[in-house]
This record gives sequence, C-alpha cells and structure tokens, in this order.
Amino acid sequence: MTVPSEPQRRHGAACRNGTAWRRAVAALLLFAAGWLPCGVSYAAVAADHHVLLLFSNGRLLPANVEFDRGFTEVLAARPEPRVDLSVEFLDAPKFSGAAYEKTVADYLHDKYAARPPEVIIVGGEIALDFVLANRARMFPGVPVGFASVNTTHRAAVEPLPAGVIGSRVEYDFLRTAELALRWHPAARRLVVVTGTSPWDLDWEAQARRGAASLDKRVEVEFLAGLPAEALRKRLHELERDAVVFTPGYFRDGDGRNFVPREGARFVAAEAPVPVYGPYPTFIGTGVVGGVMASYVTMGRLVAGATLELLAGTPPAAVTLPKTVTNQVHVDWRQARRWGIAPEAVPADAVVQFREPSFWETYGHFVLIAGAVILVQSGLIVALLVERRLRRRTAAALAQSEQRMSLAAHAARLSMWIWDLGRKDGHGTRSAAPREHDGDGAVAFTDFKGVLATIHPQDRPAVEQAVERALTDGGEIEVEYRVTAPDGDTQWLATRGRAVEGGADRLLRGVTLDITLRKRAEAQADQDRAALRHMTRVSLLGQLSASIAHQLNQPLAAILSNAEAAQKMLQREPVDLAELREICNDIVAEDHRAAEVIRRLGALFKRGELALAPLDVNELVRDTLDLTRINLLTRHVSVSTHLAPELPPIDGDRVQLQQLLLNLIVNAADAMDATPAGERELAIGTALVGASVEIRVADRGPGIAPAELEHVFDPFWSTKSGGMGIGLAVCRSIAQAHRGSLQSSNAEGGGALFRVQLPVRAASSSAP
Amino acid sequence: MTPTVFLVDDDAALLRALGRLLREHGWQVETYPSAEAFLAQRDAQAPGCLVLDVSLPGLDGLALQGRLAEAGPVLPIVFLTGHGDIPMTVQAVKAGAVDFLTKPVAAERLLSAVQSAVAQDAQARQALAAGAALRQRFASLTEREREVLAGLVAGKLNKQIAADLGIVEQTVKFHRARIMERLQAHTVAELMHLAASAGFAAAPRD
Repeated sequence: MTVPSEPQRRHGAACRNGTAWRRAVAALLLFAAGWLPCGVSYAAVAADHHVLLLFSNGRLLPANVEFDRGFTEVLAARPEPRVDLSVEFLDAPKFSGAAYEKTVADYLHDKYAARPPEVIIVGGEIALDFVLANRARMFPGVPVGFASVNTTHRAAVEPLPAGVIGSRVEYDFLRTAELALRWHPAARRLVVVTGTSPWDLDWEAQARRGAASLDKRVEVEFLAGLPAEALRKRLHELERDAVVFTPGYFRDGDGRNFVPREGARFVAAEAPVPVYGPYPTFIGTGVVGGVMASYVTMGRLVAGATLELLAGTPPAAVTLPKTVTNQVHVDWRQARRWGIAPEAVPADAVVQFREPSFWETYGHFVLIAGAVILVQSGLIVALLVERRLRRRTAAALAQSEQRMSLAAHAARLSMWIWDLGRKDGHGTRSAAPREHDGDGAVAFTDFKGVLATIHPQDRPAVEQAVERALTDGGEIEVEYRVTAPDGDTQWLATRGRAVEGGADRLLRGVTLDITLRKRAEAQADQDRAALRHMTRVSLLGQLSASIAHQLNQPLAAILSNAEAAQKMLQREPVDLAELREICNDIVAEDHRAAEVIRRLGALFKRGELALAPLDVNELVRDTLDLTRINLLTRHVSVSTHLAPELPPIDGDRVQLQQLLLNLIVNAADAMDATPAGERELAIGTALVGASVEIRVADRGPGIAPAELEHVFDPFWSTKSGGMGIGLAVCRSIAQAHRGSLQSSNAEGGGALFRVQLPVRAASSSAP
Repeated sequence: MTPTVFLVDDDAALLRALGRLLREHGWQVETYPSAEAFLAQRDAQAPGCLVLDVSLPGLDGLALQGRLAEAGPVLPIVFLTGHGDIPMTVQAVKAGAVDFLTKPVAAERLLSAVQSAVAQDAQARQALAAGAALRQRFASLTEREREVLAGLVAGKLNKQIAADLGIVEQTVKFHRARIMERLQAHTVAELMHLAASAGFAAAPRD
C-alpha cells in the first residue's frame, strides 16, 4: 500500500469530516419531519392565497392554453397578493356522466380539504355546471368566477347564485356568417359542418336558428354529424360559390373524439372554399377567421376579477363585463389566399400570420447589415480612391521621370557619380556604362575612366577642379573637350558637388553637351571679326582722302628731291654733299611711305584680337593724322588735351584705331549742319582710376537723352545711307578689351563719347 | 627786287625737297611750316608768288587765301594738294588761285606755274606802280590847272574854258601846255585817257 501524498491526505480528512456533517443534517431533518401532521400534508407558505382553476376540457385544448396564458400573465404582473394557483381539468367529453362527476367532486374535496381555495375559477359551461352542482359539497361559500361560458347557457342566465360572477362569451354564428358573406359577395351557398357530441349538437341548433335569417341571401346547407368519408366527399364537391362555417366538433360522425380545433383543421383542409369559424384558436388551421372572443382576453379579465376577490371585494362589486367583446379575427394568409381585400378587414381586427414585412422582421439586421456594408463600402471606396491616387502618383512619377529623361536627353545631359577611389587607395566600384550617353540615367563611373576620355590639354584643369571640390566641399564647374569613340571632339560642361560622408570620394553632378554652343560661339566670334573688318574697311573707305594724302606726301617729297637732284647733276661741279642729303631724304621718305602702307595694310587686314602694350596718346595722334585731311575738308578744327604721363594698356592697335576713327568720323558727321566756323572736335586722354580714358566730343546737336543707349544698337543711325553698325562694333571692341564705351551729352552742347580701357597690369598674362 | 617763291607746307621733308628743286632752277625761296608763320614773318611788299598746301593744320590754305585778300594786293597763289577734291578746286580758283596742283607734282608743272605766278605778280606790281606814279602827277597839278583840265576833259573849247574861269584864252592855252607836260601826254586824246585812268572827274556842266 502506497503512502498517500500530502494533498491526498488532506482530501481524505475533508471527506471524513464532510460525511459526519451530512449524517448530522439528515438526523435533524428526520427529527423535524416527525413533527409534521399525518395525512395529506400541504407544504406552503402561509401568506399565499390559494386559487383553484377548473377547466371543462383537457389540458391541451387550445382555448384552455390561451386562457391560462392570459390569466397567469395578469397574476404574474402583480407580486402582491401572492397567488398559489391549482389547475384541474374535467376532460370532457372524454369523461362524463354522473358517476364521474361524483368521483371528481369527492376527489377535489379531499384533495383541497387541508387548504381550500379562496376563489374558484371555472372555464367552460361543463365546469360551471359541475361546480354549481357540487359547490356546497366541495367548497361552500367560496366565490366562483366563470369565463368562456356561452351566453345561451342556462347556468349563465341571470340571476346567478350568490358569489358567482363571470363574463359570458357569445359565440356568434350569425355575425361570423355575415362576415363571410361580406367578404365573399359572390357566395351563393353557406355550408355548416357540425359534429355529434352534445356540445356539437348545441352548436347545430344555434346555427339552424341563425340560418333562418340568411335564407334570403344564400342557400344554407347543413352537414351535421357526417362520417368523415362522407364529409370529405361532400366538401370536395363544393363549388366556387360556397363558403363553409364550422365551430369544429368534439366528436365526428364516426364517433372519434376531437377537439374543435382539429375538426376545423380537417374541414379547412378538405374544403376547396373559404372556411370560417367562431373560435380564435382556429386561426392557423386554415380557417380564414371570424367574429371571435379572445381567450387570452378572457383569462386576463378573470384574473383581474380574481385579484379583486382576493383583496376582499364583495363578488357583486367586482368589475367584470357581462359579456366579452367579440372582434374580427383573421388569418392573413388565408385572407390573401382567398383574395380578400385588405381594406375590407376592419382596423380593429385581430390579424394573425400577417407576415411581418421584411422590414419588421429583419429591420435590425438590415440596419446593421446596411451599416456594415456602408462602412465596408466606405473602406472599399477609400481604398479604391487611394489606389487610384497611388496609381496616378505612380503614373505622374513615371511621367515625370520620363519627362526628366526626355529633358536630359534633349538637353544632352547626363547625370553621374564619379568615384575617385577610396581615401585609403583600395578598390573602386566597377565602371558603369558609357557616361555621356545622355539618356538621363545616373551612371556610376570610375573617375579614371572619365579622365582617359578627356582631351590631354584639358585634363589638368579638370583634375584640379575635382580636387578642389573634394577638399573644399564646394562645387566643381569646368568645361573641357572629350574625344568620343568615333573620333569626334565634343565640348562638355560639368557641374558637380562632392558627396557627403563615407570613406569613398565621390562626386555627383551633371554633364551637359555644349558642343553646339561652343561651335556657335566660335562662329559668333568669326562673324564678329568679319563684321569688324567690314566696318573697318568701310570706314577706311571714308578716309580715302586722308590715306591718299598720307601717301602722296612722301611720294611728292621723293619726286621733287629726285628732280632737284637731276638738275643738280647738270651743274659743274656737282655738289656731292647736297646730293647725299637728297638721297638720304629720298630713302627716309620711302620708308615713311612704306610705313603708311604697312599701317594701312594692318587696318585693312582681317585679324584676330592681338593684344600688345600700347601708348594711348601715340594712338590718338596717329589716328588724328589719318583723319586730318578729312576733317580739314569739312572745316572741322581739332583740339587735343592729352594727359602727359599715361600708363600703357594692353590693346589691339588695329581695333582700337578703328574705334577711334569711327568716333572721330561720327563727330565730324554730326557737325555737318553746324556753321563752318563752329565745328570743333575735342579729343582728350586721362587716367581715370585703373583705366585710361579717351574722350571724343563734338559741337553737333548732341544725342536725345532717350537715345543715349540706343545709339549702340545695331542698325541705329541718323545718317542717311548710314548702316548704323559702327557704334555697335565700337562697343564690342571696347568690351573685348575689358573696357567700356559710353555716350553722353557734352556741357557746351554736342555729344561726348568716352572709351575706358583698363591699364596694363604689371605682371599679368593675357586675359 | 628779285621775286621770291614763298613755300608753305607742314611736311618738313616736302618743304625741303620743293625748296631744293626751286632753288636749283634759280628761284629765290623762303619756306614756312605753317600759314600763321608765313603771315607773321613775311615781308608783305616782297614780290613773287605763294606755293601753298591746301590742307594745313590750323589756318588752312583756303583760309589763308581769304586772309590775304583782305589785306590788300595779293600774292598769286599756286595751290598744292595731297588729295584731289573738285569743290575745293573750284572754290580756290574762284578766289583767284593761279593754279591747283596735286602731289606728287612733276618739276615742270611746278616751275611753269611758279613762272606764271611771278609774271602775274610783276605785271600787277607794275600796273600798281604805274598807277601810283600817275596819281602822283595828278596830285602835283595846281588848282587852276585842275580846273582847266576839268574843262578839257568835258570837251569844252579853249574859248569856253576861258569864259568859265574868267581868264583869257591865251592863259588857257598856256595852262594846257603845262598840264600836258606834267602828265606827260602828247596829244589831247592821251590826256583824256590818262585823266580817265586817274579817275579824274569831269567838270559839271552848268
């Protein structure tokens, strides 16, 4: 035997203790029971009021069930007084007869002797008769209330014995029949079906009496006490113009026992025409309806009377209607089946089996379902909207990327990340496809590969710029040439910035193909040079007189010298010294002429900008020389104010001379209309800040203030036949020298043009 | 006085060359580098001619021409120019230039122009001188002689003149002889001519 565990031991102890308790209680109970009185014992609380409810028929009679429902409903609604209800059934017509009644009376008396009821309620005629007959024997003096007793029943006829009150019911054949005829105006025949029990016979008698008043309207046929088969057969034969009335039956023609309800059911099932009946319990059996009293109502009424009696009210003073009011009851299904118009049904009718509308039944569900569906729909809609939004965003994004790619492509732009290798010098990421394919994709490239494609001359500049960007964290901006695989040279402009952080040295940026731009610029430069040349030539054309003069002077000197020498040679002796002088002069003059031609040649040549140190004063004098004849011819007097010590400038002699020539010729032109004696051209030079300034002023009409800037517009000219390009070209020359050309009006009237050219920086390379 | 060729040109080399040429051909030459210098330094009475560059700085050739014209009897001018310009030529010639030559100028042309100019100058001077002498002789006539001459110029007979002046015919004849002697006229017609040259006004008829 095993040693029990601790919990086991504890449980065992509890059990042993519990058993002892139970034994003690049982002993006590037995002792107490001994004090109970012998005979039939009635264990009840003293405060309860005892009420006896006696039904004529069996427990399951639908009328009884309904009555009972109404009765107990009212009693349950009132907690006081507390009612102790006993229910008994006489079970007619199954059991009947005097002997039976005697037995029952004795039974009831003995059963309730210890505690007789305070009130007796009877349901149905048979019960009422029984109680009235045996009242004195069973429970003398106890008040009796009755219900569901026909008004025709003799026991219900006034005056009632003392202590007996009740509410009668009228089972009205006539009113039901009239209802049926009203609802079926086409009916020509009324068929009445009754059974064989005494109760059934009573009904038959009532019906026959009532039928008399219907004779005029319809033919009344009685099917009373027929055997089932015959009844069935006859019912089947009925034609459309018939309606049936039946109160049901307790016993059919074959002697079988029924309850009226089942009888009605049978008739309704077999009849091909509408069936009407007087009992509300028929509703649902197939009967259409009728004018009926509600058993539930009866139960309620009687229960109310019972409570009053229990409270001590004298029976005569209890409120109870003499007769229960009848109402139209209708089975809505049957009404629909037989096509009865809903308007024909009175508003106060008791309607059963009206299918509650869908809304009534499922209203809640519908609402909830509706709400759920709404919420779900809302969610779905929201999700769909979101999806559409997302799709649209995605599409927009795709479109935007496409556009960017297109733009990049159109702009010949490529985006890149250059990898300059890790700081520690170890490996770089693998090179991505060709960088400058301009398709908008960001290409990740090894910088070495990039460098390799760059023109050797531009490589150092690019490397420098990249290093600077990496160390300063600044931007890189550089232009360089690249040799494409197919041998073409492209110009590229790159802008980028160092990528933050990381051990890798990365540069992120954009590269633009500027080949076209560079070509255009080069072309523009060429065009500009051509234009300058053209205007210069045209200008020089205007100065042809000056040019001729400049050449003719030395030529004339040469000729005259030579002729003088010729004459001298005829003399005896020849003056050799003089001759030598003459020859020297001739040579000098020849050089002078050559120089003039050379200078002019330079002016006529078309050349690139060639900067060299220049003395501005010397330039001015030289230029004036060129123009002297021209000015003289036009009676223009020239006054010069040249600053004594001017630092040299970096300039292209030819172009600056062109500029000055133009200004001087313009000045002379401006004074064409001025009186001959007043034509004065003033030229001056001065050092202004870090620039040398040349001023050319005339005494002409000047320039309208609104036009001061416009004079530099191409094709702006006041001269008839003037092309108007001169000043535009002059300004471009000044700008090419990093200088400026401005127009204004001089103080004494007339126009003033100022050219400013930066002084030559001491140790700078050519800009 | 020997006529002088005055050369004015701003180009020193050319001035030298032209000077040499002219001197070699026997002319007396004076050179000036500018019109102002010429005006300031020249001898206004000196005979000869002016060889002048049109396009001089400052006072140009044509201006000088104008200036000289203002001052009185003008030296004949031969213009030289390094650039031909028709309006200039026309203007110069209208103002009385002897010639207008373009550089480079051949010796022949220059010498011929100078010759003409100097000759013109001599003629003018002579005419001027002659005129001056005549005026002087007229100025030496007495009052009475002037009166008689006036009458003679008017075509009056001796008798008439005598009557006008209140003297005898013989005196008139006497005066007439003296006038002709003074004015160096041989015939009356010559006398008339001289009088006209001198601008001697006829006596008013009464």
